[in-house]
Amino acid sequence: MSAVPLTAAPVDRPRQTRWLLRLHRPALYTWAALWLLLAALLVALDGPLLDAAAQGWRQFRDCGMTERCDYDQGAILRYKDCYDYATVALNVLPFLVAAWAGAALTGRELESGTARLAWTQATSPARWLAVRLAVPALGVAVCTGLLSWLHHRAWAAGQGRIDSAKEWYDRFTLHAGGPVVVALALAGLAAGALAGLLLRRTLLALVVGVLVTGVVRGLAELALPHLWPPVTRLSTLDQGFLGDGLVVDQGMVTRSGAHVPPPSCDSTASCEAAYAHFTGRYNTYHPVSHLWGLQLTTTALVLAVAGLLVAGCFLALRRQTGPLRPADD
Amino acid sequence: MSSDTALRADALGKRFGRRGGWALRDCAFRLPTGRVCAVVGPNGAGKSTLLSLAAGLTAPTEGGLTVLGTSPAKARPRVGHVAQDKPLYPQLTVAETLLMGADLNAGRWDAAVAGHVVKDLDPRARVRTLSGGQRTRVALALALGKRPELLLLDEPMADLDPLARHELMGTLMGQAARHGTTIVLSSHVIAELEDSCDHLLLVAGGRIRLAGEIDELLDAHLRVSGAAAGADLGPHTVVESRVTGRQLTALIRPAGPLAGDWRTTAPSLEELVLAHLRGPGAPNPTEERAA
Repeated sequence: MSAVPLTAAPVDRPRQTRWLLRLHRPALYTWAALWLLLAALLVALDGPLLDAAAQGWRQFRDCGMTERCDYDQGAILRYKDCYDYATVALNVLPFLVAAWAGAALTGRELESGTARLAWTQATSPARWLAVRLAVPALGVAVCTGLLSWLHHRAWAAGQGRIDSAKEWYDRFTLHAGGPVVVALALAGLAAGALAGLLLRRTLLALVVGVLVTGVVRGLAELALPHLWPPVTRLSTLDQGFLGDGLVVDQGMVTRSGAHVPPPSCDSTASCEAAYAHFTGRYNTYHPVSHLWGLQLTTTALVLAVAGLLVAGCFLALRRQTGPLRPADD
Repeated sequence: MSSDTALRADALGKRFGRRGGWALRDCAFRLPTGRVCAVVGPNGAGKSTLLSLAAGLTAPTEGGLTVLGTSPAKARPRVGHVAQDKPLYPQLTVAETLLMGADLNAGRWDAAVAGHVVKDLDPRARVRTLSGGQRTRVALALALGKRPELLLLDEPMADLDPLARHELMGTLMGQAARHGTTIVLSSHVIAELEDSCDHLLLVAGGRIRLAGEIDELLDAHLRVSGAAAGADLGPHTVVESRVTGRQLTALIRPAGPLAGDWRTTAPSLEELVLAHLRGPGAPNPTEERAA
């Protein structure tokens, strides 16, 4: 059983992509199946699942304060579960890509020596690596990009219709429904490939690739709120914090106008004393209008990290096989 | 660089890791094109490292290596290499593996040569189901199909039975004769190379111990024996000498006519190699000539 026609094309340029796809056919099929499943789920979240859950919420709201309420709880829970699964799946995707890249794309080839087999064909190691990074990167970018767009659409459709819908700044929703997840998946690809090239062990590269991706993700989450100028709103002591969104910093305003963190107190008397010299509260946050600014700047940051990881891949390869371009020597 | 040189090493050295030991050090030799060269030496001598360097798989730590008149990286399309463990993609079939060779070596590939090497194998058999010897054939087909000008084979015989070895050597010699391919094959079994090789590189402890045409090397050495008492091999270079009872046996490189009462025989290649391995102090005749 072979999908590859047994004739060689009469071209003088080495054809690597075809063999990359052939060698990773099982991974390709698995990826396609996962993608279809997730895409179908996301489409359903914007369609029948949403309609049923929205209907349930409408019934629930119509009940008001009556004691007995007849509403479709099943539909609501089904929607919530499916939304959570899809969101988590998108959050996990970069790690999946990293695991595959570390284990199968580079780690196994270096461990079993097939990389050396490839490098002794007419193609240079640099080209071998370039194809191994570029082709999956294209596939990952397109597929993940489509999924994140579908996710954003599904999320947006639920706003105002599903009472339990996630806010835009929900950690997992934020990292599923925008270009950040695409950049993270690409960083995962580069991290896995680098781990494989450096460690030359399938399993070890898988683990390290995933860990490095986790670090990139963690740093991205830490950096995200600071990558776009936030808004600060002041309120009186009687009011709560004003403004709804992704909180960067919250605290108290002193008489001199300085911003300080809220004091800790444990009794009415001590709290009154502690709050006596404050004039109000401040809330530094990102309103929903900052969503795309935050997404795009974080994406740029993660892509820059991915670029560094790719550069690291080529450096690791050069350390092993010598100058990448024959003209170098 | 003259184009009649297949391999030329100058002060070549390779160290793995920054603090690791030297796998190869201070290697200098020249291998003319069209030769069938045996790289012999004990296990761990640096044979595989030398072939990897020539194939452009690893970069030298110091010194230089010229392959077919250019750098190993530039020579890549014209060099075939079969690694010791014969790495192949286990999920591909024999036919697919050769097809991949055709695609990755577009413009050079000779399907007939490659197909001939694996003619006894089922083309639809997956590589993972093949025996060691069958894998060797597929790996060799991949290397030969590329129609290399220089073929580097690392321990190619290890997995083969005597009949297959004979056949393989026949294929290789045919290739060398028809296309003038330079073949470098490493082995730690000297006997299997003696009949087919005309050039020798003896590697031990990461250094080149002996390099040159086998005929010349054999002609330059003599195996002598005589009475141990009053034996004087004075002006000659003694590679190795042993005293058994009152009898002294030595392998020497005579500097001139032999004085005294000695029985002399021509050494075999194996004797020559073993003497040089056992007598580690013996200077390398190629270095002497170059000096």
